Amino acid sequence: MITGTGIVKTFKQRGKVLGAREVQALRGVDFAIPKGGAASFIGESGCGKTTLGRIIAGLETYDAGDVVIGDVPMSPLKPKQRQPHFRKIQMIHQDPYSALNPTRTVHQTLHAPLSLRARQTGRSRSWMEERAAEVLSMVGLDPGSVLSRYPHQLSGGMRQRVVIARALTVDPEMLVADEAVSMIDVSLRLGILALLKDLRERLGVSVLFITHDVATARYIGDDGELYVIYRGQVVERGPVDTVIADPVHPYTQSLLSAIPVLHGLELPAEQPVEPLESLDESQSDEGCLFARRCPFRGERCASERPLLQVTEGVPQEHACFYPERRSVIARPMSEV
Amino acid sequence: MTKTAPGVRIDGLTVVYKTPAGELPAVRDVDLRLEPGTITGIVGESGSGKSTLALSLLNAVQPPGRISAGSVEIDGLGDVVGLRNEQLRKARGKHIGYVFQAAQNSLNPLKTVGKQLLDLGRSHGVEDLRALVREAKELLGRMGLDGARVLDSHQHELSGGMRQRVGIMLALVLNAHLVVLDEPTTALDMITQANILKIVREVHAERGLTTLVITHDIGVVAEVADRLAVMYGGRLVEQGPTREVLGAPRHPYTKGLIRAIPRLVGDIDEAQALPGRPPTLATVPAEGCVFRERCPLRMDVCDTVDPDVRADTGADGPRAVACHAVTVKEHA
Repeated sequence: MITGTGIVKTFKQRGKVLGAREVQALRGVDFAIPKGGAASFIGESGCGKTTLGRIIAGLETYDAGDVVIGDVPMSPLKPKQRQPHFRKIQMIHQDPYSALNPTRTVHQTLHAPLSLRARQTGRSRSWMEERAAEVLSMVGLDPGSVLSRYPHQLSGGMRQRVVIARALTVDPEMLVADEAVSMIDVSLRLGILALLKDLRERLGVSVLFITHDVATARYIGDDGELYVIYRGQVVERGPVDTVIADPVHPYTQSLLSAIPVLHGLELPAEQPVEPLESLDESQSDEGCLFARRCPFRGERCASERPLLQVTEGVPQEHACFYPERRSVIARPMSEV
Repeated sequence: MTKTAPGVRIDGLTVVYKTPAGELPAVRDVDLRLEPGTITGIVGESGSGKSTLALSLLNAVQPPGRISAGSVEIDGLGDVVGLRNEQLRKARGKHIGYVFQAAQNSLNPLKTVGKQLLDLGRSHGVEDLRALVREAKELLGRMGLDGARVLDSHQHELSGGMRQRVGIMLALVLNAHLVVLDEPTTALDMITQANILKIVREVHAERGLTTLVITHDIGVVAEVADRLAVMYGGRLVEQGPTREVLGAPRHPYTKGLIRAIPRLVGDIDEAQALPGRPPTLATVPAEGCVFRERCPLRMDVCDTVDPDVRADTGADGPRAVACHAVTVKEHA
């Protein structure tokens, strides 16, 4: 179980167009990912989802709040003491082309973390060879044919599988996949998504999936939780299919409305939601963070900030004063 | 100066790249028409030859690649394959606007957008640079940006969506009426993507353009294109009106690609990855069908004979497909 409470992170930036400013990347985010469970963070670029993922993987510091791994809070620990805890959480990056050292064969890539592991547990060299073959088979690669290859000899999909295999060498409790399929060929994406789901079911590894593509967020499994993040705040949170089928926050509705309609296969949604303006992070922080872009804003929104809450008749948590279901996604023609 | 949307006729286009294993075709024997005033989308995975095909419209395939056969006739320009140096440089920009893949990163990081605009104007002999700046501001304003502020900015001060709009502005500002957009929305998030696609549609209609969109994302094509062409292993395997191709795909690759799209509703197991992997320049079979290794309908003839493109005319325009299995089924 990995939980976070009230995580806050602020970045300082400067720039002519956007102005010198402090960006509140995360404004007090709570999350909980059970052992063997799954979660997806979705939102626009700059919403804070990647920062949160990096904090969870121990690659970024935070200014307030705490991450708890198992039942050990990370804040009181010294960086060196945190290391063994964060090692259980492995990150799969977006770009499998730059995540692997081009001068190392797959064998060498797996060798480094495995030898560390072997030293820690007092295992032998032959164990390392067995384990390398084992993790490669787990990710659907044939050890015999890929071990001696260099990254440039592999396709994007195969490289991403090698990256996942490398993460598995340390027996992680959780994989954090940040846009892990966006650079993979379309015909192969589902293969990687299915692999992550499969690892979860077979090994009990939790999976955290970070993406701007809502449709791929479903593929973590239907028991997964979806977190919709906007300007550093979770604005809607619930079971993945509930949030996609019946979103109540206008921001979630805008995200879902923006998904292209496959004309010829699908009919456009009845009530698509389009934000009134595009994201401008220099906007004031007063009231609801989405209010200026929200077509449905009401009186309270300009002055008061809605917090994540449960209200009657809505199964998921949301941060909106005026939650309302709207039909915002395209329907397959076969269902009509 | 008013111009009308040009038509484009690509016939028998073959582009080869020189490799240690000899000259290998990245695009092979492609026929494609861009009707004046339409938006055509080309969909393909990495290595399908879609970007090479798009570069051929500018005759800008760089060595070790070269156009080895075929022609690209553009109204008002003639066959661009025959154009050389200065003629070609003038055609690019004035007749053909090109928004490069990752336009987000194709701006000069050391110069403001305005300076790059002036460079563009000077290199094309534009006399009235003030008018050019006015036009640029108008275009940027049209796309929802503050023109003056953007022209005064360096690329790192602009967001991905802003840079993409700057790329579109630079492609259109010299009054080109044929526009090629290579992966216009890659690396943009959903709301920005929807926004850019809307802008592409609107600017296309308002300025009377002929537009070609290259993408790996069927959703992008579904959203903007009148016609859809599917490329695989350097071949154009299917084309037709977008709705017809999506609603009733014929080529097994098109079918597989559509089935591989993650869906928002319904059983998640319905969507399936295609088995195998797309071919690279080195692994494209020299003879026979390029898709056969991954094809559920593979027959003996597919191993040796490259399927012909068979065309017919539907209600909304011509359709074409290159597949032995489809041909056999239709004649059975």
